[in-house]
Amino acid sequence: MSTDGETHPGLGVTIAAFAVIVFLQVPVVVVILAAFSTTSYLTIPPQGLTLSWFGKVLSDPTYLSAIRMSLILAFGSTAISLALGVAAAYALFRRSVPGSEAIISFLMAPLVLPAVVIGVALLQFFSLTGLRGSLVGLLLAHVVITVPYIVRSALASLSGLDLAVEEAARVLGATGFEAFRLVTLPLIRPGLVAGALFAFITSLDNVPVTIFLIGANQTTLPVLIFSSVEMGVDPSVAAVSTLLIVATGIVLLLAERRAGFHRFV
Amino acid sequence: MMPMRHGLMLIAPLALVLAGFFLIPVLMLLPTSFGEYLPGSGVVKGVWTLENYTRIITDEYYREVVWRTLGLGLFVTLVCLVLGYPLAYLIARGPERWRLPLILLVIFPMMLNLVVRSFGWIALLANRGLVNNLLIQTGLISAPIKLMFNLTGLMIGMTHIYLPFMVLMLVAAIRNVPRDVEAAAATLGSSRLHVFTSVTLPLSAPGILAGSILVFVLTISALVTPRMLGGPTYKVMATLIYDEYMQLLDWPSGSALSFALTAMAIGIIWLSSRLTKQWAGMA
Repeated sequence: MSTDGETHPGLGVTIAAFAVIVFLQVPVVVVILAAFSTTSYLTIPPQGLTLSWFGKVLSDPTYLSAIRMSLILAFGSTAISLALGVAAAYALFRRSVPGSEAIISFLMAPLVLPAVVIGVALLQFFSLTGLRGSLVGLLLAHVVITVPYIVRSALASLSGLDLAVEEAARVLGATGFEAFRLVTLPLIRPGLVAGALFAFITSLDNVPVTIFLIGANQTTLPVLIFSSVEMGVDPSVAAVSTLLIVATGIVLLLAERRAGFHRFV
Repeated sequence: MMPMRHGLMLIAPLALVLAGFFLIPVLMLLPTSFGEYLPGSGVVKGVWTLENYTRIITDEYYREVVWRTLGLGLFVTLVCLVLGYPLAYLIARGPERWRLPLILLVIFPMMLNLVVRSFGWIALLANRGLVNNLLIQTGLISAPIKLMFNLTGLMIGMTHIYLPFMVLMLVAAIRNVPRDVEAAAATLGSSRLHVFTSVTLPLSAPGILAGSILVFVLTISALVTPRMLGGPTYKVMATLIYDEYMQLLDWPSGSALSFALTAMAIGIIWLSSRLTKQWAGMA
C-alpha cells in the first residue's frame, strides 16, 4: 500500500534513532574496556590488556562478602515479595475486600515516594527499634521497595484471566488453593517471572535505602561501588561492573526467551 | 465469590509489612521535621519549630539547591523527549524485524545496575576521562574541560539513565495512535511532517505527558547519579538530604527536606492526573 508507506519513519528519523541507541550503550562499552585496561584511566587506544582486575575482585573478601550480601537480599526479598504480593493481588482480583482502589494505591505507594525518603524514614525507625544492621530489617526494607513490581505484574496478569476456568476446577473437586496453584498460577506465570525479575533487579540495584540501614561491617555490592568511587576511580570497580553487565545481559536474554520479557516492560 | 474473611487473610501479611516498614516510619519522620537541632547535642526535646521548612525557602543556599533540582528535572525531561521520540517512533512504526533488537537495546541499559552506569559516565567525563583524553589527543583542547562535579555532568548522566523510561512510554503511546488515521491524512494530501504534527503528535500527547512526569519525578528524586557525578559539593535535594543525615547528623532539617521533596513529587503526579482527566473530558 502506497499510503501506508507515508507513515513509515524517514531516513532522518532512522539515523537519529540509531544515534540514540549508540548513546545508550556508550557507558556500558566504556566500563567493559576499562576493566581490561592496564591503566587506571581509560585511553583510546587502550595501553594494554589485562585480566588482573578480575582476579583482584574475585579474591577480595570485601567484594565477595558484598556480592553474597546483595544476592541474599535480592533472592530473599524477591521470594518474600512474591509470596505476599501475589496473595494480596489475588484477593484484590477476586474483589473479596471493599476499597480495592485505595488498597492498591497503598501497595504502590513505595514507588511514588523518593527512595531516599524511605531510606531516612527507615534509618530513624531502625535506630529507635534497634533493627539497624539486622538482616531481617534489611530484608523487609527491600520487600517494601520491591513488592509494588510484583503486585503490579500480578494484577495485570490476573486481569486478563477468565474466572470461569478456576470455577471449573472447583466444580471438578479442586480446593480453592489447588485451583489457584494448578490453574491460575500457570496462566499468570510469564507475568510473574517478569515482575520477579524487576523486583530482583530493584533490590540488587538499591543504594538510597540500603546505605542508611547497613551496619558497620556490612555492605552490598552497589553500596560498595558507590562509596569506593568517592575514593577515586579504581579499575577493580570496572571489573566488578563488567561482571554485573554480563550477568544482566544473560538474565535479560533468558527472560526474553522464556517469558517474552519485553512485553511486560 | 471469595469470602471477605479469606480476602483479608491474603492481604493482611503484606499490609502489615508495609504499615510497619513504610507507613509508620514515614509518619514518625513528621515530628522530627518540626524539631530543633543543636550541633553537637542533637535534637532538642520538647521544642517545636517551623524553621526547618521556612529555611528551605528563605535560605539562599537551600533555595539554590531546590531550583537546581527542579531545573535539572525539567531539562532532563525535555532532552529525553527530544532524543526519545525518534527512537520510539522507529520502534513503533519501523520495520517489524528491527523492533525486538531495538527494544532489548533500550531495556538492557535500564536493567543495568545504576552505580555501574554512573561509573561508566565517570570514566567518560572525568578530567582524565575518555572524552577529555580524546579531545586533547586530537588537539581540540589543551587542558581538560570540566565535565563532572557540575551541571553538565549531571545533565548528561541523568539523561542517559532516564531515557529508556521515556522511550518505552513513548513507544506505547505511538502504537496507540491508529495507523489508519495517519494513512487517511496522508491520502488526503498531508505531507509526512504535517501528518506527524497534526495527527501522530497530538494523539500521542497523553503518553508524552505520562513519560515526562515519570522522568521528571525520577530525576528530582535521584540520589545515586547526582552524588557520583556531582561529587560531595555540587548538590541536589536528594544528595543534600543524604548529607544532612550522614555528615551533619541534622535529622530535623533532613526530614523537612524529605517532606518537601515528597510534596514536589506527589504534587507533580497529582497535577498531571488532573490534566489527563481534563483532556479525557474534552475528547
